Formats: sequence, structure tokens, C-alpha cells
Amino acid sequence: MIVMRLKPIAEIREMVSRHRRVLLVGCNTCAAVSLAGGETEVETLVQTLRLASAQFGPATEFSGGMLQRQCEPEFVEKLDLEGFDAVLSLGCGAGVAFLSENEGIPIYPALDTLFIGAAKGLGSWQAECSACGKCVLGETAGICPTTRCAKGIMNGPCGGVKDGRCELGDRDCAWVQIYDRLEAQGRGDQFDGLGDTKDNSVNSMTCEWDMNPQAGGSK
Amino acid sequence: MCALPASQYFDAGPEPQRLFPPCRSKCPIHIDVPGYLMMIAEGRYTDALQIILDRNPLPSVCGRICLRPCEDGCRRCNVDDPVAIASLKRAAADFGAYPNARPDRPRPERIAVIGSGPTGLTVASDLAQRGFQVTIYEAKDRLGGMLRYGIPNYRLPDYALDKDIDHILALGIDVVTGVRIGTDVTLDTLLAEHTAVVVTVGLQGSRALPIPGADSEQVLSALPFLEAAACGEKIALGKNVVVVGGGNVAMDVARTARRMGAEHVDVVCLESEDEMPASDDEVQEARQEGVTLHCSWGPVEVAAAEANVCGLDVKRCVSVFDVDKRFSPKFDEDEVRRFGADTVIFATGQFADVKDLGVELTPRGGVIAHPESCATSVPRVYAAGDVVTGPSRVVDAIAAGHRVAMCIVRDLTNDAHPLAALIEESNALGEVPQSMKSKLETRRRVQMEKLEFYEAVNTFDEIEVGYTEYEAAREAQRCLGCTTGARLTREKCASCLTCLRVCPHNAPGVKVGGFLYFDAETCHACGACVSQCPAQAISLEGHSDAEMMQRVERILYEPGFDTTLVFACGCTPNLPAIPGDDVRKITVTCLLRVAEATALKALQSGASRIALAGCVEANCRYPHARSLVAQRTAKIAATLHQLDMDKALIVPRESQEEDVHLR
Repeated sequence: MIVMRLKPIAEIREMVSRHRRVLLVGCNTCAAVSLAGGETEVETLVQTLRLASAQFGPATEFSGGMLQRQCEPEFVEKLDLEGFDAVLSLGCGAGVAFLSENEGIPIYPALDTLFIGAAKGLGSWQAECSACGKCVLGETAGICPTTRCAKGIMNGPCGGVKDGRCELGDRDCAWVQIYDRLEAQGRGDQFDGLGDTKDNSVNSMTCEWDMNPQAGGSK
Repeated sequence: MCALPASQYFDAGPEPQRLFPPCRSKCPIHIDVPGYLMMIAEGRYTDALQIILDRNPLPSVCGRICLRPCEDGCRRCNVDDPVAIASLKRAAADFGAYPNARPDRPRPERIAVIGSGPTGLTVASDLAQRGFQVTIYEAKDRLGGMLRYGIPNYRLPDYALDKDIDHILALGIDVVTGVRIGTDVTLDTLLAEHTAVVVTVGLQGSRALPIPGADSEQVLSALPFLEAAACGEKIALGKNVVVVGGGNVAMDVARTARRMGAEHVDVVCLESEDEMPASDDEVQEARQEGVTLHCSWGPVEVAAAEANVCGLDVKRCVSVFDVDKRFSPKFDEDEVRRFGADTVIFATGQFADVKDLGVELTPRGGVIAHPESCATSVPRVYAAGDVVTGPSRVVDAIAAGHRVAMCIVRDLTNDAHPLAALIEESNALGEVPQSMKSKLETRRRVQMEKLEFYEAVNTFDEIEVGYTEYEAAREAQRCLGCTTGARLTREKCASCLTCLRVCPHNAPGVKVGGFLYFDAETCHACGACVSQCPAQAISLEGHSDAEMMQRVERILYEPGFDTTLVFACGCTPNLPAIPGDDVRKITVTCLLRVAEATALKALQSGASRIALAGCVEANCRYPHARSLVAQRTAKIAATLHQLDMDKALIVPRESQEEDVHLR
């Protein structure tokens, strides 16, 4: 799932400061599950922005609404923006971009999109995937070096590792973990075969994906 | 949530609740017990009273003398003590404001109600509410029937009864007292003037035992005796009184005799102590007041000496019922005894006294009414209550009143819906499961202050003083909120599993396909899941963010200066010290029910600052919610900090707890 978090209020207010009627739109899929863009968060942000507007100006009207997913044309079609001059999207980057493509007024992101991750517990997620387009998790025992290694290197661990911890101090070294897990799975010998350069062009060169190109495209 | 431009949620609503809490299920009139207990827990007595009045026109009466079948069903029974539901009903009637009468558009039909006991008052109330022109005919001088003349004032004082009666009469009901239908006015005369007549006269005759001496001068019957006491008459009883009978009426008679100056009161009954029909509370209180109970004795003769009674001769009763549980007493003729007495009072049953009425009667003298339509042998004449069924509880009498009223509505308006709504049955929730029980803190019932028995026995003053508001709130907090818990709006659920992660009782579960469901048996209605659900897909019975917003707007409606709005947790009815001159308070079941959006909304609606007053740790109704409340408070503080409005939030220190369990 894509994990998001709310931007600082000052940043959001600055973005929409030139608009007078702003619609906040939540997304009931990943953003809701991230506890960042569900109906509750939309309502809370509406009240926060209204309070700020009443206290400090400018006089902007804020309303809220929900979409099941901001990244699907059939859902986005239902959005009625009559009377609004801007949208604050509480969706991921894809939602903001897709709304912008389909609507004629400015769409601003109220959230920062962080990573593709997994839930660790209530309100806590771990980054697991960076959508690099060239998955190596089979070789790395399910631990993504692109995501979990601070440098994203393919031939770790680097010299910054100390007692299994990354020199940044906020995480365990992904490469030490890869080694340990391969060992635990009885395939420690495969560790030496790792370290090939990864083809990063897949990520940067893949701007769309249509599974039926020959038949004239999926649409 | 405000306007939804995306209309896909438009029709979405929570699934209907198909279970009744056992308290509601056991109540013959199915009052929404958890609903009004929650209101009391939040200090909203008028709202609580409104919920009770929806089903029960006599809350002040039932709050005092109901035999409380609901409490037998309370799911706290197998945790500690049942919640004091009846006493809390009384608190609602004591502290709540009765709503103004708003009967429906007047209808032309005129209805005569004969008798003004609980059934008659209920019929009159129901029909007047629906716009019918109702007249109550009462043989005695004042309304209330057995409630006024049969139940002693120390249990149900007149002012408490009048409170309910005044509220009912405010619907525009005419009253004719001092008129006995059948003798003073015939049934035909009534039928000529009314569209329908309802006979709810109850059981007015006292049954005496056919034993020698029963016609002596100092042999009294229960009902006239209790009526005289209720009217304040003094009756010379002498020092020693023997009461015959083992029911609640016998206990009332014995205790009334003590108050009239009798020094020794012996209650003699046929049944063994286990078989006695009197309720345990009544028996215990009678004993505390110095009444002596003699079980398993059968009266043989009232011994009289020179026109005065000198005692009651009895013989040992070996068994009361035969193997088929039929009344068939067997005696040991050799074991006999005499109870010395100056007065003997029979409390050995009542009978219907309606032979002058002209409707068909059962061999025992009761009115024959069709069990479903409540119709009697005379067209347009209905009957209900004890006169049809024999002796029953007050709450059964009210149920009978509702039933006959709705039958009349059906017959006169062809609208069967109200009748169908009345008999709507629901399955009751089962016992508290072991997994949940181990996580519930035991908390004993708050004991109500009572007159000391040595004082009580000298006066007809009410024994039970009633809960204070503080005690009522504390007791209502004990309610487990059965079936008022989480309900899912499936269309909105994002399957984020947040509810699953916050629930301490594992009430939410996941089905194949990621669909959530809630197990009503284990849900404690704490609202933790509701407060954390990002999709607003979970709701609670009796609570919603929209309603909270309305409460905020209502309380801030009057403009003030430098207003502080306190959101106070109901676990701690005492408010901690909050500075400022204009402090307003909203009590909630748990602070988790105050959404961030609600708190922020209050600051736009006129409050200069908000205070989030949490509860005392030892009192907390939902201990697991405390960390979630702390998280939420921190989030609100962080948001206000970002807006440079730190001073708009006060988090007071915990307030003091009163110990209500010391009694």
C-alpha cells in the first residue's frame, strides 16, 4: 500500500492562499488506510483550515468530499467542482496528478507520499518498496536494498555499518539483514552472487504500462 | 461530514441492529435501557427521560416500585452486580424535565377509559397522544388506582405519582372522578357518548379466607386497610397484628401496620420461605422493620373473645402444591399454634369486582377479553390489565395498556403499524463471554441512601432517598452498553483494520475478501474503533459526530465573553478547577467521542478555548481508551501549535473522585 502523511498546515495554507473556495477531496483507498486521507482526516483538515482562516485570514471557504479512488477515471468523473476554484487532494501523488489531468482547476497535494509499505501496527508503517521496476527481492531474501538501504546500493554493506546498524542511526543495515536472513534460510552462499548493477532505466523509462498494446490499447 | 460531491455514499447507512440487550428484552415494554443509561452517564437527564417516556408513561412510578425484570437480564449479573436500572429511571424522572405535551392533530373519536391505574393511565396517554378525545372515569376521588391506594406512601409517595399523572393529563385528557361505571352510570350510557370504552379497573376486591371468625369486627382486608392508610386515616389496630398472606401486598400491609403503631406484627403464610411470592427485597425490608415472618402455616380459625379478636389459630402446612404444581395444600393436623392478635388482616388475594358492568365474565369474575384484539363480549368495549389477566406487575399492566390502545388505534384508523411495532420481538444478546469478562473491571453497584429502619418505621416518608446526580452518573457508567456498540457501514469501509487493532475485546473480525464485521456479544461500546476509523464507516447507537457538533453549537449558542468549553469525561462527574468566568461543559461517555474536528469546530463556534478533562484513572470506564485519549489530545495540541494557538487548549489535571461506595 502507498503510505502518505499530512503536510505541515502552514505549507498547505500557503499553497491555497490565493484561492477563495477550496474543496478538500479524500481518497478511500490507500490514503484512508494510511490514516491520512479518509473522511475523518478530510473533516479534521477542513475544520483546521476554517479555524485558521477565521483567526488569521484570508477569508477562504473550505468544504470536504470523498472519492473511492482518485486514480480511476470512473470514480473521478463523479467529482463535481462547480463553484470551487481549487482542490486540495488528500490522496497520493498519483491522485493529485490524475485529478490535475482531468480537472480544469489547480489541484494541490495536502499529503506527502512517502513509500509503498506495510503496516507494523496502529498508525505505523514500514517502507518496503520503491517501485524501481526491477524487482530483486527474490535474491535479497525479501529485503529491498533500494528502499531499506539509505544509499540504495546493490553491493552492501558499506563501511558505515556498525554493530548491524546504519551510520544514519535510524535503522538496521539492510545488507546485514539480507545476509542474516539468507543464512537463516540456508542459502547464505547466494550472498556472494549479489551485487550486480541494477538497470535503473526501467524505472525512469517506463512512463506508462498498457498490457494490451497490440490490440490498440486497453481502453 | 459536510457536503459530499462524490455521491457514491449517499445511501450508505449502518446495518440495522437485530439484537436487543437482555435488559430491554426482559422488559415487557422494551424500554431502550442502554440508551437512557448513556444519557444519564452524560448528565443528560431530560434526554434520558424522553427515551423512557417513549415507552413508559410512568417513569417516576416505575423508577420506585417496578419489580425490575430488566435487572435480572443485566449482563453485569455474571460480572458483579446488575446495574440499578430502576433507580436510574427514577433519577431521570427526578432530575429531567418532562417534555411539553404535543398530541397529534385532534381526532373526532371519543374514548372512555374506566379506571386510572397503570393500565388505564397508559391507554389514556397513548390514545390522547394520537389525538383521540379521552375521558378517564374513576370511582375514587383521585387518579392512580392501586398506585395511589394500594401501594404505601413510603414506597411511592403521592408527589411522585402526581408527577407522572400531571404529565399524562397535560395531553388534554378529561377526568371524571367519584363515578362508578355499572352502578352510578351504565355502560350503555358511556357507549352512547363514546366511540369505544376501555375497562381497566384492575382487581378491587379483597379475598378473605372462609374460616370461622373471619367476619369478626377486628378482621380487616388488605385493600381497604391500605386505602385508609393512603388517605391518612388512623385505624386502631392494637399492639399485636397478624397479617395473613405471603405476597408483596402482605408485606405492604405488615409494614403499614408497623407504621400505624402495631408493636408486634406477625406475617403468617402458607408457603415456605422459598415459595413465597413476595420479592426478596420486600421480605428483607419488612424483617428489618421488625416484622416477624412465619412460613408454612395454614389459618384454621380467627379466635374471638367477646367480639374482639384474640388470635389466629393455625396448623402446619406440609406442602402447598401437588406434583403438577397446582395449588393443593396439605396439612399436618397435629401441629397447631395460636398467634395472639388484636387485629387480623387478610392479604390473601384480590378479585375483579365488575359484575355490574354487563360484560361476559370468567368463572373467577374477571372480564373475558380476546387475547389478541382485547375485545370483550360487548361491541366497542375493550378490556385489559389485571381485570383480564389476574394480578400482575405494574410494568405488565403498562404493557397491557399499550396493547389495548394500539388495538383501538388499529380498529378505529385501520393503521396496524403501531400494534405491529409494539410486539416487535428481537433476540437477546447472550452472556458476557469469558474473554471479555476477564478484561472488565468489577465495580459494585452504587448503594442508594435510605432512611434508617428505626426511623422509617415511625413515618410514611419515602424510604429510598434517591440517587444524587453524582451517584446516578457513577451508577449509569456501569452499564456495558450492550448492543449499542459498533455497527459498520459496509459501503464506506476501507478495510484498513484500524478497528481490529484498537479493540481490546477483539469484537471486530475479518471475513474472506477483507470484509469487516463486529461481534455484538464482545463489543463493549467504548467507541475506540469509531474514534479511529478513517473512513467514518463505524457508528454507535446514540452517538455520532454530527450530534456532537450540534451539542457544541447548542451550548455555545448564547454568546459569551472569553468562553471556555470543557469536554468532560463522564467517568468523573466532578469538574476539575477550570479558570475563567464563562465555563460551559459538555459531558461525554468517553473523551474519545470528541473528534478532533469537533474540538476544532468549537473554537470557531464561539469558544475562546477548549478544555479536555479526562477521567480519574481509578474510575475510568474504558481503561484501554486512556492512551488513545492521550494520543488524540496530543494531536489536537499539535494542530493548535501549528496555528500558533497553543493557549486555546487546556488539559486540566485530574479531578477528585467522590467515594460513593462508603455507605
